[in-house]
Amino acid sequence: MSAEAIRPVTDRDSAPWWERTARHEFAVQECETCGTLRFPARAYCHRCRTPRWRWRQIEPVGRIESWIVSHQPFLPGAREPYVVVRVRLAEALECVVYGNWRGDGPPEDGQLVRGSFTAVDEALSLVDWGPAG
Amino acid sequence: MAGFRDRTAIAGVGYTRFSRNSGVSTLTLACEAIMAALEDAGLSADDVDGLATHRVGDSAAPSVVGPALGIHEPVWHLDQFGGGSVSHAVIGQAALAVAAGVAETVVCYRAINARSEFRMGGTGRGLPVSPEVQYQAPYGYVAPPQQYAMFARAHMSKYGTKEEHFGQLAVRQRASAVKNPRALMRTPITLDDYLAGRWIAEPFRLLDCCLETDGACALVVTTAERAAGLRRTPVLISAAAWGGGDSFLSGGNPDVTVTAAAEMAPRLYRQAGVGPAEIDVAEIYDCFTYSVVVQLEDYGFCAKGEGGPYAASGEGVPVNTHGGFLSEGYVHGINHVAEAVSQLRGDAGDRQVDGAEVALSTAQPGYILPATSALILRKG
Repeated sequence: MSAEAIRPVTDRDSAPWWERTARHEFAVQECETCGTLRFPARAYCHRCRTPRWRWRQIEPVGRIESWIVSHQPFLPGAREPYVVVRVRLAEALECVVYGNWRGDGPPEDGQLVRGSFTAVDEALSLVDWGPAG
Repeated sequence: MAGFRDRTAIAGVGYTRFSRNSGVSTLTLACEAIMAALEDAGLSADDVDGLATHRVGDSAAPSVVGPALGIHEPVWHLDQFGGGSVSHAVIGQAALAVAAGVAETVVCYRAINARSEFRMGGTGRGLPVSPEVQYQAPYGYVAPPQQYAMFARAHMSKYGTKEEHFGQLAVRQRASAVKNPRALMRTPITLDDYLAGRWIAEPFRLLDCCLETDGACALVVTTAERAAGLRRTPVLISAAAWGGGDSFLSGGNPDVTVTAAAEMAPRLYRQAGVGPAEIDVAEIYDCFTYSVVVQLEDYGFCAKGEGGPYAASGEGVPVNTHGGFLSEGYVHGINHVAEAVSQLRGDAGDRQVDGAEVALSTAQPGYILPATSALILRKG
């Protein structure tokens, strides 16, 4: 994306996740009771409804579930079309993430993709996606 | 729910003019639409004991509108947070209050300057309406057309839905708007016009997207008994339903081509005692063309995956007879209910569906904020 990134408005649940991402660690939460992996960060497991959890680093790998090519300049400075992808994580099938596309050609439905970190500054990194392998 | 079915009615509808710049406040718009709806019903503001709306911080609250119209002691009001997913829930809740005897005459309204003052989906810099925004806005994924385009693409990939299907639907809704004096867009369009439109967010072009409109609409909800004695043919509220959708927080919907409406529709039909085959006209939330396609499936008018060809064909249930958000104007859902009322009263003029007795009207099906709502109405 060519526009200046909008800084995320983090909250008390999400701030530790963004701190890990800034260190280029890709993590989701793992429920200590039932093992369900979840994203985005919050206190309670949506499956067993208990509040004990730990971070679990996973491979930033998933499959393309859908994508768009955004043309309308919704953001100040977004002059060129850019691609936003929706990715379902391979190690955490209940978790989906969004990001920008770093492939040469357009993404394909079901394509295996890998995330990479783009450092905005010391406090913020974003995760973008491109073809895996 | 037989205890709820047909006990309340919509006794009047009112509109302001639709425009791109009303030049007035949302408070003014709300008052004008409310007074028009009361006039239509043959009632006055002195008869009103309840007010209901929904907002996303962009409009006049009942606590402001009531005093402004000299309604000093409402016994019930609702100031619902939310956008298109709760548009029909507001009317359903008003009907519940009336059916329970808490209030007798509730005016539901929505007043927006959605073009000249508060445009939807700006830059994501505002107060987030959901914790999900922070994970999307940094990637330039901030606006409803982008979000809906993402889900439309998934439907195209899975079922072979084509852009021409979306286009034919846009063309047919415009043809309906041509017959609607309220509509903002009354010049006919062709599929070629649709395909020549500029990209907004692929796979959506300009004519996949709804208008951004300044305007207001209001409805008077009262008991079926009282409505029967008023000047207009009453339109009975046969069913009102709410549904919860999926989001990041619910573990990620494994199939984004199925909306919250699929779970809710059977409950809605059961309440009303009808099925999709009995629906004579459907006014379906059309923030984007795809929203209609997926709801035609999830409300049971066609099988999952067949919504594209079904919507394109123009066969089957008449849809968005007023032109919808795509061509009439965007009043966030309530104008779809108002059009259903017109159809059931038989006063829809050149766009009247012959013999319309039962209507469905739906809200945003649960993609952006994970909730939906809908009504089934019946000629009284």
